[in-house]
Amino acid sequence: MKFTVIKNIQKDSAMSLILRGFLLFILLYLISDVFVMKSNFGISPEAVNRALFGNEETYLDPMNEASFLEFWHTQIFFIMMILLTLSSIFIRVAKKSRAILTNTLMISAILSLISLPLAFYLSSFFVNIYLIAYFIWHFAALYMIVYSFWKLNAKSV
Amino acid sequence: MQKAYKLSILYYLAFSLLLVASAVMLFEHKIGFSYSAVLEYYAGNEEKFISAQSAGGILKIVLPHIFVFGLFTMVLLHFLVFTKLRGRKSLLTLIYITFGVALLEIFSAFFIINGLEFFAYIKLFSFFALLALILYISWLLFESISYE
Repeated sequence: MKFTVIKNIQKDSAMSLILRGFLLFILLYLISDVFVMKSNFGISPEAVNRALFGNEETYLDPMNEASFLEFWHTQIFFIMMILLTLSSIFIRVAKKSRAILTNTLMISAILSLISLPLAFYLSSFFVNIYLIAYFIWHFAALYMIVYSFWKLNAKSV
Repeated sequence: MQKAYKLSILYYLAFSLLLVASAVMLFEHKIGFSYSAVLEYYAGNEEKFISAQSAGGILKIVLPHIFVFGLFTMVLLHFLVFTKLRGRKSLLTLIYITFGVALLEIFSAFFIINGLEFFAYIKLFSFFALLALILYISWLLFESISYE
């Protein structure tokens, strides 16, 4: 987190390059995450419902509780680490709207993570909230990556 | 510390609470919170046809946790360096205890499968102690961010 205390990141060519490399990897992770979720868990209400609760017509078993809890537990860890580092970079380079965007990113990510067990244990209605929040935090993260990338390339930060 | 960074840390604490909640639910579901449940999960039970865990099987679960515990604990504890606790002996003690308890939580399973049944208590103790420490550190950070 040394980059949080460097006065002018743009002048520090090595740190700027490191951060741009890191942002590229976060971007690749988020894009890959959507594709992996699409094939394993689903990114539409029908697909997520099918993955969680199975489908009698196609003889698809519901997800067992142990697998669900492991999936949820892993997701929380990965998302918290990625968003902490991304928001730290974004806060460092952005001047305007950084609080609004950080709040949007974090609240939607937390909402998606809370909706997941609520959907599994309480009601499939929460699947819709999970998906809306999932896409909001992905788009917010995407914007923050592109903006940070652009700012790190600019003449002064 | 900048106000915007405080926001990031507050959200990190919220995620930490979610992680603690999911860890409790996972432990309760897969292992259970009693001495006998922990012993059965690791050492097996012939009467109930539960097979014992192998060292290789445990290592598979332990491997990602070694990295994750180290990273998560480091990130959480390093925020404390930016608070008024910096330079105090109590902070160093807290760091030693947290890493020590995390190590116990990870490796106690190996002692259980090697016949040291007493380590089932250690496993339970270290699990709850680690969660308590995470909550305590989170509270220290929250207090520091809110009132400093």
